[in-house]
Amino acid sequence: MTGMDAILQGGLQGYLVVALLLFALGLATVLLRRTLLLQFMGVELMLNAANVALLAFARFRGGDAQAMVFYLFIIAVAACEAAVGLALVIGLYRHRDSTDSDRAASLKQ
Amino acid sequence: MFITFALITLLGALGMLLQKNVIVAGLCMVATFFGVAGLFLLLANPVAAALQVIVYTGAIMVLVLFVIMMLNSHEEEKAQSTRPIQRWVSVVLLVLLAIGAVKLVMSSPGVKSLAASGAAMPQAMTLQKLGTALFADHLLGFEVAGLLLLAAMIGAVALTKRNL
Repeated sequence: MTGMDAILQGGLQGYLVVALLLFALGLATVLLRRTLLLQFMGVELMLNAANVALLAFARFRGGDAQAMVFYLFIIAVAACEAAVGLALVIGLYRHRDSTDSDRAASLKQ
Repeated sequence: MFITFALITLLGALGMLLQKNVIVAGLCMVATFFGVAGLFLLLANPVAAALQVIVYTGAIMVLVLFVIMMLNSHEEEKAQSTRPIQRWVSVVLLVLLAIGAVKLVMSSPGVKSLAASGAAMPQAMTLQKLGTALFADHLLGFEVAGLLLLAAMIGAVALTKRNL
């Protein structure tokens, strides 16, 4: 399998390309959207892209269990990030009545 | 099969990027997570696929949609300043990053040899293997992750409570 074949039929390159494009789309969401909740979802997307690449390498190294352990830790960190990040968004909304990240440009009220 | 799940994943992510309504964007994100779970199944890793569906779509996305509905911010607000130059620069740099990274992966000899040698090793990930690795080699990390989750939970309550 070479080149395009590997991408279309699910070789290692195919999974890596999907992971890279997923990361790029997540980064685009963080950079281009202004709603904090959407930017937060973009960060989750980037974490997921890393997971896809990690588990693809694990599969092609013969089912390495270490990668699965790291996947679990990444999920735990993502869950912590979700809880604290959403709490911060709610706190910001209370002060400024908006979830637009551009309007949170200063620390003063 | 692979191309189906890859398309579900990428189109879901693209829909999230382009969608005006925040709730619909969140549902596109759910489609992406299901696509990623399908990719994990194809990687002979049913444990990761189940965790992906349970934790991401079941817990994190429900939390996000809950907050969206609670704050009642379905539409993106009008920009105070549109900043067109910065937006286009970021789009161009992102496309360059994506093309460069994909080219790098496709031309890498290490990845090619790993793909060739790994295709012959169809070893499925089982819960037993995962449990052994987790509790034999990474017990300290596991405990620290539990503590981190507890700290995040307390922090979230402290941040959202009006007068503690």
